[in-house]
Amino acid sequence: MDTSYQTIIIGGGVVGSSIAYHLSEQTKEGILVLDQKFPLSGTSGSTQAWVWVHNKTPSWYAEFSMYSAELYSYLSKKIGDVEFKRTGGLSPFFNEVDREKALRLAEAYEQIGIKIKVLSREEALEKEPFLNPAVVGATYSAIDGNVNPFRLVDRYMRAAKKNGVQYSTYNKVTEIQKLLGKFIVVSEKGTFACKNLILAGGTWSRELGKLVDVNIPINQLRGQILVTEPLKPFLNYTISGLRQAFNGEVLIGYSMEQEGFNRATTLDVIQETANMAVHYVPALRKAKVVRAFSGIRAMPEDGFPILGKIPGVENLIVAATHSGVTLSPLIGTLMTELILDGETSIPIDRYSISRFA
Amino acid sequence: MDKSTIICRCEEISYEEIEDVLTNGATTFDDLKRLTRCGMGPCQSKICHSLVADMIHEKTNTPYFQIPLPRMRMPLSPIKLETLATNSTSFSSVKSVMDEVELEDGKVR
Repeated sequence: MDTSYQTIIIGGGVVGSSIAYHLSEQTKEGILVLDQKFPLSGTSGSTQAWVWVHNKTPSWYAEFSMYSAELYSYLSKKIGDVEFKRTGGLSPFFNEVDREKALRLAEAYEQIGIKIKVLSREEALEKEPFLNPAVVGATYSAIDGNVNPFRLVDRYMRAAKKNGVQYSTYNKVTEIQKLLGKFIVVSEKGTFACKNLILAGGTWSRELGKLVDVNIPINQLRGQILVTEPLKPFLNYTISGLRQAFNGEVLIGYSMEQEGFNRATTLDVIQETANMAVHYVPALRKAKVVRAFSGIRAMPEDGFPILGKIPGVENLIVAATHSGVTLSPLIGTLMTELILDGETSIPIDRYSISRFA
Repeated sequence: MDKSTIICRCEEISYEEIEDVLTNGATTFDDLKRLTRCGMGPCQSKICHSLVADMIHEKTNTPYFQIPLPRMRMPLSPIKLETLATNSTSFSSVKSVMDEVELEDGKVR
């Protein structure tokens, strides 16, 4: 294995692997991805993987997410089948207060080109017949969908490797030295030098930042998810809270807990999640759960992506975000532009780490 | 075992498919589970995990005692959602997406 690279990416999850792949499309100069475990062993492998846009707020963040969602069809053509399905997204609500919110949301987003329809009870039930008949309405947007996160990261990795990217896994970075014009990255399995260094550590970004004396304000948020046995296809849309996968299993969950890196599943949240499932889709009562799992999400202190150059350290870039699945095609594209051209085709100033200074 | 031997009966994953990801850098059961779906079916790896351990041992020379077991999760054996549900409709850790849409002066932020 070489010891000198043009670019080293720390973190091989959906964000790091997307950057590696997109960068390798444009340049043949050496790229190394370092992962402390194995890609998919963390956040990227424990998600429902919605590609979700329509009720992200504020509108500029929804717009950013939309650009990424729109890249998915093209991405699937390039890296292969990732089971991306633009199902459309449905957020049911059960009280009139939420309808008011939904109407305001639809009005505001019309201006940025995201079409949201506020469905009546009858329209919601016509679209998704298995929804609870007690539903009051739903927001609907055709732009949302879902993807198989395992296929996605695997395809990013395979395509990147085919383009010459090297991966070193089970290889934790222990020290980073900033020298003039280069970085020395010390890892458990060896020491590497590079010109560009990209921190894509997801939930571990704060720890990674400490190695370069930069505060990356990312916290952890636990989500617990239930998986059912495969059922015949009966859900048409990605519902905010649950979705049916290609193989028929239903993934259920939308819980948030601050538990640090503790990946336990707990009976109270499993029961609450089961309650949500039967509340949204009563027919699920008879479906069997085969597994509960939990994932630790990366949550920036203000909720928004942290992207771009780190001021004061030349050639040091951070890409850390919540909603990494939705945003990965766009982040990979933009970070590639930033490295090769020094600027991005879509402004990312808003997402600069300098906002926390 | 030959290349076409089915290792995971629930998901019908063959020896060859597991061999492929082991040569691509996967080293533990959970690594290859995510890449192949081996062990993700109704039995949750109760049937295939020892066969897979044999393969990991064979391909990576890792001694058996150093091969981690698959991570087991609740409910261990499939259980109906209605058995888990308490039928409450008040939620604390579980959110709704609409809860996250905040209005400021009657407008979306």
